[in-house]
Amino acid sequence: MNAPDRYERFVVPEGMKKVAYERDMKVMNAATFTLQREDHTIGNILRMQLHRDPSVLFAGYKLPHPLQYRVVVKAYNLAITDLTKELDHLKATFEQETNQKQAEYY
Amino acid sequence: MAYGVDNSLRIEDFCKNLRVEIISMNEEDIEFDIVGIDAAIANAFRRILIAEVPTMAIEKVYIANNTSVIQDEVLAHRLGLLPIKADPRLFDYKSEEENANEKNTIVFKIDVVCTRKGERVLNSSVTSDQMKWLPEGSEMPFNTMTKFTSFGSSQKNLPGLPAEGISCQYPDIIVAKLRPGQAIELEGHAIKGSGNIHAKWSPVATARYRMLPEVNLMEDIQGKLAEELVQKCPTGVFDIEDVGTVKKAIVARPRNCTLCRECVRGTDWDKRVQLTRVKDHFIFTIESTGALRPEVLFTEAIKILNEKCHRIITELS
Repeated sequence: MNAPDRYERFVVPEGMKKVAYERDMKVMNAATFTLQREDHTIGNILRMQLHRDPSVLFAGYKLPHPLQYRVVVKAYNLAITDLTKELDHLKATFEQETNQKQAEYY
Repeated sequence: MAYGVDNSLRIEDFCKNLRVEIISMNEEDIEFDIVGIDAAIANAFRRILIAEVPTMAIEKVYIANNTSVIQDEVLAHRLGLLPIKADPRLFDYKSEEENANEKNTIVFKIDVVCTRKGERVLNSSVTSDQMKWLPEGSEMPFNTMTKFTSFGSSQKNLPGLPAEGISCQYPDIIVAKLRPGQAIELEGHAIKGSGNIHAKWSPVATARYRMLPEVNLMEDIQGKLAEELVQKCPTGVFDIEDVGTVKKAIVARPRNCTLCRECVRGTDWDKRVQLTRVKDHFIFTIESTGALRPEVLFTEAIKILNEKCHRIITELS
């Protein structure tokens, strides 16, 4: 009854950005990323990768509501002020990992 | 930058430590081990295999005649759940507004009449092998000038198609049961979709993983105790090794362990045997419904995870 269309799980509507980035007001070097139309599949992996980086002090993810398909990732990082680049690097390493895994599999 | 160096080292470490071993593989199932990945990645693969690898399944059913006791909607629902042996990579997605053409739709037809022939009743049950593939497109008669499909060319010429054409994966699935005089005449249009829209589009019967159990003997278990231990385990994890004159218990097949904890029941046994799980050793089992081979399913899942990451990265930059 309340459930939205199943298409809402992965189709990002017009005008909405997939990833939104907000710096935290109270704490330095902390930011909150909001990924639209994603779920635990990506959220958990992102959190795991952020944990692996020793310069990241705090990383966590949540789905604020199970019927609203978005993931909020909060990260607190000492060394780097530009967290966007940080996530960039982490995703790049991750995709290289999956590529390697594909190569290994063959 | 510091983190750049960290990451490249990590990738090399990852590649060195990663190990993939296929235990058993056949047309439908595969069981393989992956060592060296994290639980989050293993779970992501499981979730993607169940919900995001696309398949073809019947979505629209045009019923010309249904005089059986099975209601139209029940029949349509059952048809949707039939596994279709077609490689979804050969087809495109179809949206509601698009026309059905040979690139995005597979058309099937069922035309069965139950008759009595003397003593015998013919076609008393409609099975999935009576669902015929129509490679030329829809054969529904023109009414109100609506053409259901506009196939530019026959689907028979689609590259990559198997020799026998497209059919249901299992020929003996009962779709409906009829009595003499009843008939079913319908056309089903199958389109591409993924499991997160509806479970009929899930390419696996199931995909599961478990972590390798780790059984450690904290102290030397010898003699009668060793024999008792071997007896206790219902799956044969332990074995007796004769070292000189003494019988010692060893952990022979930890893979068979189901963590039933029979070996730690009884007095003092939990001090002798320790049961945990190896943190990064995953035993995956993938049971395919037939559209794609199970090992192909896993490589598709890797590609999909890759695409997801790419999408987020491009949005970020």
